[in-house]
Amino acid sequence: MLYHHFAPKMFGVCLRYAKDATEAEDNLQDGFIKVFANLKNFRHDGSLEGWIRRIMINVSLEKLRKQHLLYPVEDVAIYDSVNFSDDVIAKIAADDLMKIIQQLPPRYRMVFNLYVIEGFSHQEIAKEMSITQGTSKSNLARARDILKKKIQENFSELVGQNNYTA
Amino acid sequence: MKNDKNLDELFRDKLLNYEQEPPAYILDNVLAGVAGARRNRKIVFWRIAGVAAALLLAFIAGWQINTRNGQNVKPAVILSQQKAPEISTGVKPEIAANESENQSGNMPSEIVNKPGMENLQLAEVAKGNQVSKNSTKLLTENSKSEQIAFVVESLRIAKNEESALLKPVKSLFRLINSGSQNVATNLHEINKSTQQAVRTDKTIDQQIMEQNRQVMLAENQTKEKSRWLVGAQVSPEYNVSRSSHSQVYASNMLSASSNPVDLGGGISVEYKKGKRWSLQSGVYYSGMGQSSGNSSYSNRNITSSADFASNLGKEYFNAPVNIDSNNSKMMMNSTAGVIEFKGIPSGIVLGTNLEDKTLVSNAVVVSDARFIQNFEYIEIPLYLRYTLIDSKFDVEMLGGFSSNLLVGNQTFMESSAGKNRIGSTKDMESMSYSGTLGIGLKYGLSKSIYLNVEPRVKYYLNSLNSNSAVTYKPYTIGVFTGLSYEF
Repeated sequence: MLYHHFAPKMFGVCLRYAKDATEAEDNLQDGFIKVFANLKNFRHDGSLEGWIRRIMINVSLEKLRKQHLLYPVEDVAIYDSVNFSDDVIAKIAADDLMKIIQQLPPRYRMVFNLYVIEGFSHQEIAKEMSITQGTSKSNLARARDILKKKIQENFSELVGQNNYTA
Repeated sequence: MKNDKNLDELFRDKLLNYEQEPPAYILDNVLAGVAGARRNRKIVFWRIAGVAAALLLAFIAGWQINTRNGQNVKPAVILSQQKAPEISTGVKPEIAANESENQSGNMPSEIVNKPGMENLQLAEVAKGNQVSKNSTKLLTENSKSEQIAFVVESLRIAKNEESALLKPVKSLFRLINSGSQNVATNLHEINKSTQQAVRTDKTIDQQIMEQNRQVMLAENQTKEKSRWLVGAQVSPEYNVSRSSHSQVYASNMLSASSNPVDLGGGISVEYKKGKRWSLQSGVYYSGMGQSSGNSSYSNRNITSSADFASNLGKEYFNAPVNIDSNNSKMMMNSTAGVIEFKGIPSGIVLGTNLEDKTLVSNAVVVSDARFIQNFEYIEIPLYLRYTLIDSKFDVEMLGGFSSNLLVGNQTFMESSAGKNRIGSTKDMESMSYSGTLGIGLKYGLSKSIYLNVEPRVKYYLNSLNSNSAVTYKPYTIGVFTGLSYEF
């Protein structure tokens, strides 16, 4: 069945775009209702998985728009750039990375996901989110800084060990 | 920069194909949601039928009320400034007859009051039954309250007939407002229930959440951000003359022989709230006209000079006119009203001092000319539109009212000598009101530019001429074609 085949992977997508599992479940549910309602409109010029993934992303985008989170927000803190070896991230489990991403402010999380994971360009992100390309770039930089900071805070033993070994 | 790219790649590698089994109840909710969406599609037909009925009701209600008001025609007086002693005495009985008709024309207001009186009596009877039959007390109270409510409503309608005209429009606006209020209320409830929901309990709470989700899905189908559309349309307009006249006026009237096709058009502004409903206004130019000629006014025992009599037998247009000797103005009755000539035009044969006792006028014109009356209006509409089919090729239904400002009133005489302006039509109302009903077909040329084709029927609610002997309410049929831009 279509649902059983794609649900685990799409739940993974929804988890990345949501602040927690509850929101991800809502998005997954809304997304699959749309999938079944529009299945007859699916053109077989692309992969079904890609089409379903796009619907899940759209549901997340739509929710973000409804919550008026696309308007510019001011950062309450300025994050200093933290540098550590790539090995640190390699050692962190995917579940833990997911939790860190979920802690990002909603708009930063959206930009980071679209750019880094989905491979969107800043131009495409700007169009999807109704923001400027400059804002998209700025949001991405902030998202990276926050992620690094969170990794340093939550996995200090790995960072420290890494620095030590380095 | 390189560090950032490495960071991005590591995140992508770990999370791109990340999978996690969702809770089992999600599938049940998805299946329930899909079933709900199918049910919603089934009721779309009934929604469309309901809206169509509401628009039709508004159209008919406006028409009926207007027709009833139109019956109150005042006594016909034709060109009272003219001196025709013998003729005027012959006319009087007809005027008297008209007056008696007008008295009977006022009856509807009394008839409207009658049901109210009967209901008052019924209410009293119901009250009596309540005392004598305690076993049916509850039922009687209900029926009494319903009857009293009906009596109050009947009296209210009888007292304020004008509000009845606006009622269909008001009810349509209420329909929209109540819809949006319900949406707001439901959203509030959803937010409230969502906040209170405890997700660990998957029995009753899950059912509540499922219901809320279905409500939200139904709302999502109709709720979208508001949009504006501006556009420009042109249309050929075919006018169908609809008029009635007092007997005296009609007996000396020039009949309209044809209705030329005029050109109309303008710019429109449309505000679209949600997926289905929108409100449209704008500024339109509307040309309207009629042509009269070659309608023989014959079989009268006119004796006059040999020169004039020789023209009467021919297939020439000849119509009675009144000539004011003080200012040399000539007046002729037409279906749209009295044509007032600036002077006596050249190219016509005028017979005066005729000995026809049935003739109210003091002269007859004989000519091969055609008289063309042109009226130009600036129209400011207020239309309510409803989208019946929302796809690449939209189908919409529209209905509403317009204010029409008269900006042009000219009468031309067209003969073998050419076309000359000879005057205007008297007593034309400077402001008139019309109702419109139409079907809109909209095709998306691009994401924000649409091609519109809209067949519309416009009818005038009030007489375009203020002369009490003339009721002139033409129809206009047009196909508005143009482009609109959405933003």
